[in-house]
Amino acid sequence: MPLLDRKLLRDLRSLKTQALAVALVMACGLAMMITTRSLMLSLTAARDGYYRENRFAQVFARLKRAPNAVREQLAAIPGVATVETGLALQVTLDVPGLAEPATGLFNSLPERGAPVLNRPYLRAGRLPEAQSGGALAELAVGEAFAEAHGLRPGDTVSAVLNGRKQKFLLTGIVLSPEFIFEAPPGAALPDNKTYGVFWAPYKELATAFQLYGGFNSVALTLAPDVAEEAVLAAVDRLLAPYGGRGTYGRNNHPSDRRLTDELRVLKALSFAFPLVFLSVAAFMVNSVMARQVALQREQIAMLKACGFSNAQVGAHYLKFALVIVAGGVVLGTAGGLFLGGKFVDLYHIFFRFPALRFQPDLPALGTAAAASALAALAGVAGAVQRAVQLPPAEAMRPEAPASYRPAWFERLRIARWLGPSSRMALRNIRRRPARSALTCLALALATGILILPNAMRDGIAHVLDFQWDVVQRQTVTVMLAEPQAARVLADFQHLPGVVLAEPFRSVPVELRSGPQVRRLALQGLPARGSLDRVIDGHPAQLTLPERGLIISAKLAEVLHVQPGDPLTIRPLEGEARDLVVPLAGLADDFAGVAAYMELGAVNRLLLEGDRVNGAHLTVAAGEWDTFLRALKATPQIAGCYVKNSLREGFRATTAESIGLLQKMYATFAAIVAFGIIYNSARISLSERARELATLRVLGFTRREVGAVLVGELVLLTLSALPLGLLVGTQLARAIVTTVSTETVRLPLVLTTANYAFAVAVVATASALSAWLAARKIAGLDLAGALKALD
Amino acid sequence: MPPTAEAIHSPGSAGAPHRAPVFEVRGLARVFGEGTAAVTALAGVDLDLFAGELIVLLGASGSGKSTLLNQLGGLDSPTQGTLRYRGWNLGVADEAALTQFRRNAVGFVFQAYNLIPSLTARENVALITEICRDPMTPEAALDLVGLGARLDHFPAQLSGGEQQRVAIARAIAKRPEVLLCDEPTGALDVKTGITVLEAIERINGELGTLAVIITHNAILADMADRVFTLSDGRIVNARTNAHRGSVRDLAW
Repeated sequence: MPLLDRKLLRDLRSLKTQALAVALVMACGLAMMITTRSLMLSLTAARDGYYRENRFAQVFARLKRAPNAVREQLAAIPGVATVETGLALQVTLDVPGLAEPATGLFNSLPERGAPVLNRPYLRAGRLPEAQSGGALAELAVGEAFAEAHGLRPGDTVSAVLNGRKQKFLLTGIVLSPEFIFEAPPGAALPDNKTYGVFWAPYKELATAFQLYGGFNSVALTLAPDVAEEAVLAAVDRLLAPYGGRGTYGRNNHPSDRRLTDELRVLKALSFAFPLVFLSVAAFMVNSVMARQVALQREQIAMLKACGFSNAQVGAHYLKFALVIVAGGVVLGTAGGLFLGGKFVDLYHIFFRFPALRFQPDLPALGTAAAASALAALAGVAGAVQRAVQLPPAEAMRPEAPASYRPAWFERLRIARWLGPSSRMALRNIRRRPARSALTCLALALATGILILPNAMRDGIAHVLDFQWDVVQRQTVTVMLAEPQAARVLADFQHLPGVVLAEPFRSVPVELRSGPQVRRLALQGLPARGSLDRVIDGHPAQLTLPERGLIISAKLAEVLHVQPGDPLTIRPLEGEARDLVVPLAGLADDFAGVAAYMELGAVNRLLLEGDRVNGAHLTVAAGEWDTFLRALKATPQIAGCYVKNSLREGFRATTAESIGLLQKMYATFAAIVAFGIIYNSARISLSERARELATLRVLGFTRREVGAVLVGELVLLTLSALPLGLLVGTQLARAIVTTVSTETVRLPLVLTTANYAFAVAVVATASALSAWLAARKIAGLDLAGALKALD
Repeated sequence: MPPTAEAIHSPGSAGAPHRAPVFEVRGLARVFGEGTAAVTALAGVDLDLFAGELIVLLGASGSGKSTLLNQLGGLDSPTQGTLRYRGWNLGVADEAALTQFRRNAVGFVFQAYNLIPSLTARENVALITEICRDPMTPEAALDLVGLGARLDHFPAQLSGGEQQRVAIARAIAKRPEVLLCDEPTGALDVKTGITVLEAIERINGELGTLAVIITHNAILADMADRVFTLSDGRIVNARTNAHRGSVRDLAW
């Protein structure tokens, strides 16, 4: 090994803690980047492969019922490449071990051959086959539901099909590209206990629902380079007479959209945060190296005097920085791969793929490593250049003493009460404004980073408590298989334990404002109900007007409309025509997008008299079990959502992912705070060793000298904390806005506890690192302070 | 020529013959390192130093004079022998006690001044007057060294001689019993050196402070009450000046 390299290793050893601090900060940024980029790659690759292999459709449509002959007409639409038709029906399930009824979406398997599109992937067992005679009908179950209930091929489940309870034998466990995100329609998070997807032979399903010879679900693929809009319109026109409930492309497919939203969030996280960490690391490399070069001034002069070239000397110090970068890259890669693996496991709760393998994004890793190296080199370049440009004779002499001036604020009256230690601290900050500002900024960023995950946690708590206690006050929502006359409400009111029942009418509609179009379920509710309430941003309950529509604020944003603007409603079922209504108000909600109208107004729109599709109920706690038994025995019920089950599912799934995020951010922020303070204290100690040793010789105690050393850092930390709270607030706002999608939104909730936690972590990390650095005061060379400089 | 017992143990002209010594040094040894790597810096020094004396320590570099000064100033502890300050065994004192000793009893003057660059002249002195028991005001201390007019200048705005006089003011503001000066004029030209030495001489005379000066410059010996020459960690020559010369009269 060349002797210069040996010197490098020994110098590094003496700087090991500082080098480690820098490498760790760099590693945080790299880990975050590798984690998010790799997750994006893993999800995209898994999705694309799955879509291709299992032929995920591009266009989807639902309708009431059309004869199978319409299939040929669909295939004849210009641009349509493949057509698959079938049945998709919502049924109520009776699952052993589950008190409340669960909801199942039953999909049909073709009578002959395998499905052409949206092919199920068989995880275990076999696909169900049509049975004749008295044999038990067969059924395949989606993996998420099967896992939630521990179902295996050979088990049986009961379902109510068209009012008749029937027993099924489970033959297999299945996944489908249509249900990567397996959640009830409109739900932001899966609820695998009470909602599942199933596959049954066409014949049995069709027979049970008296739909044999027809279909109610369409999937299409398009020929290359075909405009989707034209096909959507043609399919809509064709299916309208058959009770068409709307045609949509992949961008409106609930599962695909949820996945796309997730990728968008990852993309937002993969850039901003790593950049922050890498910038902080570059600054730290710069300060460490600038100090190192200043300390080794005489050595550099000696090397040059002995005939080493500027390039050799420069390369020596650049290597110094590169070793630190290498350490950061190794740690960051390991951390990124570890975290990526953890998140992939977590994604299994939300997204079901035949195989979601963690794929490290190597090009991103390369880019990140190169960016770190460049940042570090940029940090070192200035210091090295100054060193190599000095003529050796001059470099042999010690650097001129630092010159100070009083800071401007010392002219203020208050400055008279400042002690010498405070003056030293203030003047040191004043003398190095850029370095002080960057240290302060880095600490502020560390504080800000801590605020983010807790803001997300508090936002979720807010959604849980506010949305589900203030907005939705029902115990359970029951849905009818088909709309019925409003008098059915009386039947619900007579179920045991029911305290209050309020009806709703839900109908798929298309909302249009100029070129902006969205399809969703329009909710018809009582004008001022006391169960499922429409709440604005204040929050106050809104009264649904006789004329006009209230929609989610997010939907208004998507449609570019404001209250007072006209909106065109086009019902996607029944005989009704388009209706233009004013936008009457905005609702503040957090999951999915919704549109609300007064129940009577919806019925007038649909021209079908007083009808409802279900009801929101409050049930007395003491009679809950009796109620559920009665509910399971009510045949016209197609499904129900129990609020507390949804809430529990929400808590279990998001709590885990937010918990992991929170730990990650807290660790990273603590590392940055610790690294920055430790590094600053060590550099300060090194620069002022003689000054501090002099103070010790003059009779200052270790504690007093420690106070002089950390005084500057305490001032910087104190000014960084309020700035950090500001940074964190903006950061949380930016991230909440970025992750705010049409499927999931979070309110920006910032609590005092959150701010206090961030301040406490940064202050503790700072204090701890300052203490560690101040311990080095014991090692100051007191006798050396007496010696002359030359 | 071995030193005479009388020169080592008796006060010079300034000291009254029967007072107790400030420092009582017996068989003082300091060895750095161990085994074959051991370096003996002091190899048995005997010395009594009295209040009001001005002592000059001469010797080549490596002779042990700085090590001796460090021992007297409570910066280091001896390997062997005893070192008593006012009867108190300094050689076995702990870190905290040594800090208190330096804080209240000793004033240091360094060759490189060692001023805090971020503090003005007045503040550099005030830094010390704030922590000791019975200080004079920073202004009075600076007046004593003739710097009453440059109170609010930062070190970088002062000449070398001025900086050293600030350092002396800082050392004497606490009214120390001992003033230890390590090559105080080493970094100065002759003219500035004289003003600095005059300041030391004046403090020694007016405040009765025991002053110990380390120097390479044998000419300074004439301003001392007693002069010790060190070599290889031992006192090889001790002499008492019958008549102490003033700094102005030295043969520059």
